[in-house]
Amino acid sequence: MAEIRIDKVSKSYGKEKALMQGIDLTIMDGEFVVILGPSGCGKSTLLRMIAGLEAVTGGTISIAGQVVNDLEPRERGCAMVFQNYALYPHMTVAENIGYALRVARVAKAERMARVAMVAGSVGLTEFLDRKPGQLSGGQRQRVAMARAIVREPKVFLFDEPLSNLDATLRVQMRHEIRKIHNRIGATSVFVTHDQQEGMTLADRLVVMNKGTIEQVGSPEEIYERPASTYVAGFIGSPAMNFLPGEIQGGAVILENGIRLPVPGLSGLDGTMVQVGLRPERLSLTGPGRGQISARVDFVEELGSARLAHVLVEDIAISVLTGDKLAIAPGDEVGIAIAPCVVQLFDGTTGKRIETAAHAAQQVETVS
Amino acid sequence: MTSDANPAGRSGAVRTMHLKENLAGLALVAAPLGLLLVLILLPTVSMVWNTFQVPVEGGTVTGIARYQAFFADSYSVANLRYTLIWTLISCVTALAISLGISLYLRFSEGRIATMIHALSLFPLFVPAIIISYALVRFLGPNGLLQLLLEQVGITGYRTPYLTPIGPFIGFVWENIPLPVLVITAGLSQVSDHAIEAARDLGAGAWRILFEILLPQVHRSLLIAFALIFLGVIGAYTVPYLLGPPAPEMMGVFMQRTLGNLQRPDEAQVQAVILMVLSSIVGGFYIATMLRGEVGRK
Ligand SMILES: Nc1ncnc2c1ncn2[C@@H]1O[C@H](COP(=O)(O)OP(=O)(O)OP(=O)(O)O)[C@@H](O)[C@H]1O
Ligand SMILES: [Mg+2]
Repeated sequence: MAEIRIDKVSKSYGKEKALMQGIDLTIMDGEFVVILGPSGCGKSTLLRMIAGLEAVTGGTISIAGQVVNDLEPRERGCAMVFQNYALYPHMTVAENIGYALRVARVAKAERMARVAMVAGSVGLTEFLDRKPGQLSGGQRQRVAMARAIVREPKVFLFDEPLSNLDATLRVQMRHEIRKIHNRIGATSVFVTHDQQEGMTLADRLVVMNKGTIEQVGSPEEIYERPASTYVAGFIGSPAMNFLPGEIQGGAVILENGIRLPVPGLSGLDGTMVQVGLRPERLSLTGPGRGQISARVDFVEELGSARLAHVLVEDIAISVLTGDKLAIAPGDEVGIAIAPCVVQLFDGTTGKRIETAAHAAQQVETVS
Repeated sequence: MTSDANPAGRSGAVRTMHLKENLAGLALVAAPLGLLLVLILLPTVSMVWNTFQVPVEGGTVTGIARYQAFFADSYSVANLRYTLIWTLISCVTALAISLGISLYLRFSEGRIATMIHALSLFPLFVPAIIISYALVRFLGPNGLLQLLLEQVGITGYRTPYLTPIGPFIGFVWENIPLPVLVITAGLSQVSDHAIEAARDLGAGAWRILFEILLPQVHRSLLIAFALIFLGVIGAYTVPYLLGPPAPEMMGVFMQRTLGNLQRPDEAQVQAVILMVLSSIVGGFYIATMLRGEVGRK
């Protein structure tokens, strides 16, 4: 019922070059969508346009089937949670949470009851009489959440609500937000630049880049089948390796002349490509084995795993492995590359090139 | 934020260090403090004491006869009432205008806002006497305003010069810059997001002003009020040059009692009354400042 439809929306500030042009996105009722992108790409702007805090320059936004372009924020039924919480320092926690109800002229008794209930559900009951200044960051975050929940909105909008918390608390609040979503079931749009946060929270991920949407899909889809080098490089940690080359005779010839056999490349001869290899999908083997041979540059110890940086001639590749490695800088090693882990992107447009190997892999994951 | 600093848990060394810092601080302010004591506090105390000395045959007794005389004199009381009323009216008006300008500056940017900011600070750099004469030339009889009005066919202009409105205009003019500085600083502390959050949950402009903005800058407003009040209540130049001959603002009254009438004893009583009024507001100001200090800790 609270589907959000963003139709050819564009945005420019003043006379500057347009920040966004023709954004299309449909968010289904009850869905948890995460908008992911680097700083300055327009995530907050998009969210604020949905909330009505910022006017669209062109296109339409509809919520629950109603065009909201000309509606005031309060008429849109969205509740926004801000990055720095935006609590009112002069009001107590209870007043902060209940302020929206007071503005909506909800009777005092009902207001208090609803505030008490929501505060209970996010664990704030004992802090209701405190001022925000007397709370920890995590508690303030909860107040901000409670302030949104108490309104029982059709849509939740989150603008990097967790970025001011420390790592442990962030993970904890992440789980709570997802739990609250599962319980309430309101449509949620969550903006973040933290890919892990996005991956774990989202039903669907929207990857943005410089005011455009690069790809929309489930977290798995975006990880496994990134639509472009941009998405491939942005998602996944450590970052994907990119090796430029050219398709010739059913294999990719890398810039340094090394031949990387990839099945299913018929008819693509002469195409310049970027070969994408995820570090965690590669493995190291003994010298002379594997698809290509390389020399160890250095090894990073990550605790649970090790990240080996190796050089194929002059091209650096990182390989993530859980095994204990008995290698030292300068050692010769081989890299085992299963055909299905090779992702190909067009060398000029950066767009994904589907190969037969991927089709085969799709079947594999299904069975 | 909930750092429960436990004083008992602090080591003795830390406490000694604090003590040393305090002593060093005291030493630094000792000289100006001493000067303050000798040159301001002592004369004040002796003057206040003096007003309670009532001459009788063959000496003096301590009593409040001089104050009784002041409050029995209808002209003195009228002056006091006039001073208080017009000080308050000027304060409220200047405060309202400053708040308006500050709100505008808080929410706008660009060249016009910069210009208005500069303009609002301009009176700070013009001495009261120049402001007064400028206003006389502008508002006075046959002044610029009257000429302009007559040009467009409006006659019957009644100048505010030498009426209570004259000094009122002067006071407001004089007391825009500092309050604007103070209130703008206060408003800049209110985050944009807090305002947007209020908009998001449906608060209109008035609600945002009265429930979000003003409660967060009430300290700045109180400070601005005190600054204006203290400046206006004891003013001399503006009411002397622009005000009516009677009633008089206390500053003018005091000067005339002392200078023209040569009655220093009465002038002292007037001064003490003025001082009491000022110190009420002054105490208020200090209490607000201190409360802020404690609140920040
Ligand atoms: N009021 C404004 N006037 C002019 N430009 C603006 C305004 N607000 C944002 N911008 C510009 O729009 C672009 C996108 O801003 P936005 O806040 O949406 O980025 P973001 O993706 O949320 O980044 P971050 O992760 O840093 O929050 C930025 O380049 C910013 O400079
Ligand atoms: Mg942002």
